[in-house]
Amino acid sequence: MSDAFLDLQGLSLGYGATLAVPALDLAMAEGELLALLGPSGCGKTTTMRAIAGLLQPRAGRITLAGRDITRVSAHQREVGLVFQSYALFPHLSVFENVAFGLRLRKVDAAELQRRTQEAIAMVGLAGFERRLPRELSGGQQQRVALARSVVVRPRLLLLDEPLSNLDARLRLEMRSELQRLQRELGVTMMYVTHDQSEALALADRVVVMREGRIAQQGSPVDIYERPRSAFVARFVGFENVFAASADGALRPWVEGQPGRAWRPRQVLLGQGPHEGQVLGASYLGESVEVLLHTAAGPVKAQAAPDAPRRVPGETLRFDLPIADAVLLDE
Amino acid sequence: MFDNRRIGIALAAPAALFVALAFIVPVAVLLSGGFATPQGWGLSRWAEFVGDPLSVEVFWRTVKLGALVTLACAVLGYATALAIVDAGPTWKGRWSGLVMLPLMISPVARTYAWIVLLGRTGLVNQAITGLGLSAEPLRLLFTETAVFIGLVQLFLPLMVLSLVSALENLPADVVPAARVLGAPWPTVFFKVLLPLSREGLVIGGTLVFTGSVTAYITPAVLGGSKVLMLETLLYQRVSVANDFASASVIALILIVMSVVTHALLRRASAARRR
Amino acid sequence: MTRPFNGMRFSGALALGAVLLFLLGPFVVIALAGLSAGDTLAFPPQGLSLRWVIAVFGMDNFRASFWLSLQLAIGSTALALLLGVPAAYGLARYRVPGRELVRTLLIAPLIVPGIIVGLALLRHAVIPLDLGVTWALILAHTVLVVPYAVRVVTASLDNLRTDVEEAAVMLGATRLQTFFRIVLPNIRSGIIAAFILGFVTSFNQVPVSLFLTGPGITTLPIDMLTSMEFVYDPSIAALSALMALLSIAIVAVAERALGLSRYV
Repeated sequence: MSDAFLDLQGLSLGYGATLAVPALDLAMAEGELLALLGPSGCGKTTTMRAIAGLLQPRAGRITLAGRDITRVSAHQREVGLVFQSYALFPHLSVFENVAFGLRLRKVDAAELQRRTQEAIAMVGLAGFERRLPRELSGGQQQRVALARSVVVRPRLLLLDEPLSNLDARLRLEMRSELQRLQRELGVTMMYVTHDQSEALALADRVVVMREGRIAQQGSPVDIYERPRSAFVARFVGFENVFAASADGALRPWVEGQPGRAWRPRQVLLGQGPHEGQVLGASYLGESVEVLLHTAAGPVKAQAAPDAPRRVPGETLRFDLPIADAVLLDE
Repeated sequence: MFDNRRIGIALAAPAALFVALAFIVPVAVLLSGGFATPQGWGLSRWAEFVGDPLSVEVFWRTVKLGALVTLACAVLGYATALAIVDAGPTWKGRWSGLVMLPLMISPVARTYAWIVLLGRTGLVNQAITGLGLSAEPLRLLFTETAVFIGLVQLFLPLMVLSLVSALENLPADVVPAARVLGAPWPTVFFKVLLPLSREGLVIGGTLVFTGSVTAYITPAVLGGSKVLMLETLLYQRVSVANDFASASVIALILIVMSVVTHALLRRASAARRR
Repeated sequence: MTRPFNGMRFSGALALGAVLLFLLGPFVVIALAGLSAGDTLAFPPQGLSLRWVIAVFGMDNFRASFWLSLQLAIGSTALALLLGVPAAYGLARYRVPGRELVRTLLIAPLIVPGIIVGLALLRHAVIPLDLGVTWALILAHTVLVVPYAVRVVTASLDNLRTDVEEAAVMLGATRLQTFFRIVLPNIRSGIIAAFILGFVTSFNQVPVSLFLTGPGITTLPIDMLTSMEFVYDPSIAALSALMALLSIAIVAVAERALGLSRYV
């Protein structure tokens, strides 16, 4: 019996005929903010729904705070879930939405009032108690969803891409709100997202998933600076992946073989042993993204805005310094 | 969608069992009666039906009236629907509401009015004798015409609503575009509007046809025993002659007609959704 | 299309007017005939008065059949909802094997002409099981209304996202609590619409009840039908007018309050 706060052992999950997650092992510590990161279809939402109790595992075990909850129904797991679509109760006011869980637990009137008000204030919506969900903006609905889940003091809070429906600026705002909330309340949180910058910014630990399996897990720095596979590397921005050749020549990377990866800003343009044709140069404000064509595949480089302008068709020498490369196992 | 199938089955079971036992089984048994003969299973009842001139006459009359009513409803329906669609947003809703109004009134009430209007001393005859078109009041009731009129009045709203719905979904500038290209009104109708609103016509048509063919009240009140249709024939066979076998045959015919037209309706709306 | 036939405005209005006259005229005729002061059924009526309308309330047979129709409509619709609402929910939210088949089964009574349902029930349920007339009628009317209940409630449920119910469960609600606290309030208008639709259908229904009514126990529309043959005074006309007004009033109120046309 492990003493991890949340422990997934050999979890096998599927829908109908398809097996989405073959055998997953994952552990979380109490008070941790864990991000499940991956492209759509990688199994992160499936895993989350299984932890929530909305999906029965085919095999495996889920333990939370020492208690085996694999066969426990969703409503008794003390796990909270904030939905991507917020899923507020349309016929209830903000107050009643937030108080819903407390009413079910037959919390007495005075305490219910107090805790609900507290939760509403904590997410910055004091004064909105009487409003109905349809009268709220996306960001406000998001906050109600959060308050609603948090007020019942769940042991574990799951968030399913909660910010993906918000515009960029609001997303950044809410991101720091979430972080602040988690620190204040000390709630153990699992955050599902496909946005790597979000995962890196928020999480204590990041778990990258691919096709139902864990590709790599570690601290944000670990994932960002030391990806171990081409999949993870590409996910965190290492756009240039090539085979790890002994002689330093540029060869296309093959799945399953060791490789080397560079970020666009690590490519040195103008001089070097390699040669390519410029396919295009896009002005991005802070930098210029230059796309090169080589025999071994495309190379994406980053140039300063004031560097000499690159013309499509132009032949350019460039270097991918081996010393700077990240080594990939597969 | 929730995982648990057993709860779903438990929730749907009472209704399903009820419909199965109170509807499917009795109706199936009734229909099978059309195939039961003193010599075991056979088609002799059907032969009897086909061989009986009255039954055959009633059958064809029912189909004929169904077709005529549908045709009349199509023509009148288009005229009405086009006028409604042309009426502009505020009036469109009001006209539609008025057209829908008869649907909420009991068919008994709606049909009874025709007795008052078409009877010997009814309004129509008063007008006819008053205007000198005829010396004697005409016998208008208990004729096919009376049943025809009654059925058209009963089902026209269904056709109108169906057509209005279809015409509303047409692209906004189709008619002006055709007119600008020089098309005269008949061409606009036959080459543009009709093809584009075809599904509405099919849906309305199947509703009207099924309704007319399986009508009881209107033929009973306005046709009596002189103008029998399939359902009034069925009633007569059972209540007067206790002839359940013949009733079973008629029942199966009615069901087949209804099911076939509904299947056509399903096909038409499925095609539209694609 | 907005106003595509500008040139047809006049003839369009004419056509519309004529059709509406045809559709609604008879109702006006019957209403006026029922308000006649005279002794026989005639149009135009010989003077207007409420005498027949009042008289109708005093006629025992009509009163009895009215009560039966009313109780039948309420009872069968309530029963149909009790059966249909859980069924609609179960089929919409759970993976029931043969879902489409069951749905078709539940809608099937709409496709079979009512008279066949009545006869079939009489011969193969009522007589063998020796059910009373009232029970037979309730059975038949419920069968007729169940499809409306299922269809309308299913439409309502399709408008309510499942994650709202999942959210309730995650906050600690059992499925039952979720149904009563979250689902029902949100499909309430659908249920009311189904009730009204079912009520009107049952109340006005004739073919199904034809074979199932008995001496002294009959529904109002059938009572009116049989009376037509030997009654020559305006009482039936007055009754028709009253019934029509009742139906219109119920549906008008429903349309105002709920937007009934959404569910049909």
